[in-house]
Amino acid sequence: MPELLNILLVGIFLPLFPMSMVFNAILENVKPNWLRVILFILWPLIGLLIVLNSNLVTPDWLLPLALSTSFLYAIRMLTLREVNQWTGFLATSIWSLLWLPITQGSDAALLYSFAIGMSVPLVLLVLLATGLERRFGAAYTGLYGGLARTTPRYAGVLVAVVVAAIATPLFPTFFFMLGMVVETVSSKPYATLALLLIWLFWSWAGTRLIQGLIVGRASNSKIADMDITSISFYSIVLIALMVSGIYLAGVIL
Amino acid sequence: MERLIVVVAALPLISALFIQLFAGRFGRSVARFSVVITTLSFLLSCLLLALALMGSEAQALPLGSSAAILLFDPLSTLLATIILGISLVVHLYSVRYMAEEAGYGQFFVLLDMMTAALLFMVIAGDLITLVISWYLVGVILYFLLGQDTRSQTAYRFAFWTLITYRLGDLPLILAAALLFNAYDTWSLTVIFNEVMANPNAHQVMGLPLTDVVAGLIGLAAFARSAQFLLHTWLPYTMDGPTPVSALMHAGIVNAGGFLINRFAPLFIHSSEVLHWIFIVGLITAIFGSLLMLTQNDIKKALGYSTMGQMGFMIMECGIGAFSLAIYHMFAHGVFKGTMFLSAGGVINHARHNDGIPKDELYTFAVEKQPNKVSHPWLLMAAVTLVVPLVILVFAHLLVSEDYFQKQGAVVLLFFGWVTGAQLIFATYRMRSQNVWRLVGLSILSLVIVVLGYVFISHAFDQFLYPDPAFRAQLYSAATIDLLRLDVLVAIVTLVVVSGWGITYFSEQYGHRRRQKGKRLWLNFYALISREFYVSDIYTRLSRTLLTISGRLNVWLRWL
Repeated sequence: MPELLNILLVGIFLPLFPMSMVFNAILENVKPNWLRVILFILWPLIGLLIVLNSNLVTPDWLLPLALSTSFLYAIRMLTLREVNQWTGFLATSIWSLLWLPITQGSDAALLYSFAIGMSVPLVLLVLLATGLERRFGAAYTGLYGGLARTTPRYAGVLVAVVVAAIATPLFPTFFFMLGMVVETVSSKPYATLALLLIWLFWSWAGTRLIQGLIVGRASNSKIADMDITSISFYSIVLIALMVSGIYLAGVIL
Repeated sequence: MERLIVVVAALPLISALFIQLFAGRFGRSVARFSVVITTLSFLLSCLLLALALMGSEAQALPLGSSAAILLFDPLSTLLATIILGISLVVHLYSVRYMAEEAGYGQFFVLLDMMTAALLFMVIAGDLITLVISWYLVGVILYFLLGQDTRSQTAYRFAFWTLITYRLGDLPLILAAALLFNAYDTWSLTVIFNEVMANPNAHQVMGLPLTDVVAGLIGLAAFARSAQFLLHTWLPYTMDGPTPVSALMHAGIVNAGGFLINRFAPLFIHSSEVLHWIFIVGLITAIFGSLLMLTQNDIKKALGYSTMGQMGFMIMECGIGAFSLAIYHMFAHGVFKGTMFLSAGGVINHARHNDGIPKDELYTFAVEKQPNKVSHPWLLMAAVTLVVPLVILVFAHLLVSEDYFQKQGAVVLLFFGWVTGAQLIFATYRMRSQNVWRLVGLSILSLVIVVLGYVFISHAFDQFLYPDPAFRAQLYSAATIDLLRLDVLVAIVTLVVVSGWGITYFSEQYGHRRRQKGKRLWLNFYALISREFYVSDIYTRLSRTLLTISGRLNVWLRWL
């Protein structure tokens, strides 16, 4: 019984449905930008900290539940239009996959690297959503559109960050997914198929998000585009992510 | 010298990076930089191809201390040259064509990135580089097709392309993972050597690994090369810029043929996979051609034409004619690229002068008014059936005496015969003062085409697969039971000849269709005009999934 309670507690931080709803409920009610950033960075790390320090014995049903959670949130992302909520669902879908390397007994440092590498693009997306709220009053797809014409630099960065978040090469999440497919393909083929489907849904949801924001005619009102300092910041972080992705590939593949 | 292949692939990347960084400072002249770099890369690739033609040994070149390996071999050098040749033409064309478009610099960044991704794909010597470049081609194509960010339609169909490509990525990733698990290496050369040494060493869920992986590779190729049921994106992605359409139809869509060729050593040891590939290619060729003929939108007709050609290419792989598929890829690429790039000029010219001569060809091909033939039909039938066969047999005997020992070659010969006979059959139905002259000219052109095709494809065969034993193994892997082959050939012959007979007699004696037959014909026409409801079914499935997604969100209070 204490074991089950322990799993339920960890399931809040390394999402397992229905405990996964806690993170999304908190995210919806947290308004300050900096707090959201902290939430996205610390949440999976807390989960990992608990798992790695509790000698948790993972029951057989845990992995299917983790995969189902990830799958559920990947499907639900398809119809989300609010960018913060979308980011929260993607985070839930991604973090629940951390159970895979945990059950395989991966090294702690590697687990933390995975968690950080997968969370950083989400943090960037949260920051970009704040920028959209500041400019348009809401970060909502299909509402205004045309960002590629209205604020081309902003749109460019947004596209790059979404692409990084949905596990596109050469970002860390891509190598994490590839590594997990390699790990599971012989021992747990059902997990491999689930991973591939989840990956496909991320791509689908990502393109819907991109299309809902950047496509369309330019806005008539004058909207400030992203300044050079911010572009440099995002570019440096994205390049660092790519480099770390390649490094991670060397470690896990 | 072979190490130059790294430079060839890296140059377009450098160009993309330069344009991204300095487009603001140098303005539209960055396009010229891109053209210069692509030209340089193309020249280097020609040099490497010359080296390969002169017999330089195939080499696997590791990139520093990483697991990444690049291959210098006939397939990679030939395809790199083709890709860079087409890319260079597209670059040159785009310099002026895209000048009025927004995002001019960004277009060249994407074009260079696409060139680099395609190059890395064809020269990849390890599974990771192959998977990454294969994946990135789809992503970059999505943004190239969506160059006009105002157009919702362009993005809608760009999404169709992306999602089909992503579907095709999954089997390749799965195949890579299975191969790594079995052989504990990412290197393609090592894997192929081990497969050749001991093909049945590994099993997956009770099946031979080679069969499973070859099947997965086939699936990845089907998605990339628009095979039937995974084709819907191709005819609809015409809203992208013309240079992108040219690049897509001339190069990107051919990737399926490349992938099957790259994994040829696996296909040799797979039992039934090549037969399935043949069937899928055949169905695609038939459906693509059928849909092409019934389109009233010329762009969609071109899209379906490409689909039909891709079907032929995959079919060629299915009968073991791997190198022929590469030649087909090259020939079709040049042909289709020219068509797309000259489309603007033709439209502009047609605005001033429709240029349509009301001659016999126009009456026959556009107005669909064939001549009521008054020549002795038995003689015409004999000419139609015998002449192409004689030409094909003699042309093939010139390059190889044992040609008819290869079953795949016989199948190709059969298709060549059908095509040649169709050409002559169509020719003598044209209104003409001197039908024999016309038939004679058709036969002459058939002789030239067949000889060219046979000699060039033979040269491709010698270059890409110099080992005769390997070539024989490829054909042998595609071989089926002789009785089954004979029955199949007999059935198809019967169908084709009956088709000709029906056409001939209905045109000779007028259209006397019964009411029941007419209804059946109309139903068939409706089916074709809706393109067999394939895209409608996909649209319905996507909407259902989106509805489920929405309902789940409502039930779970968006948490």
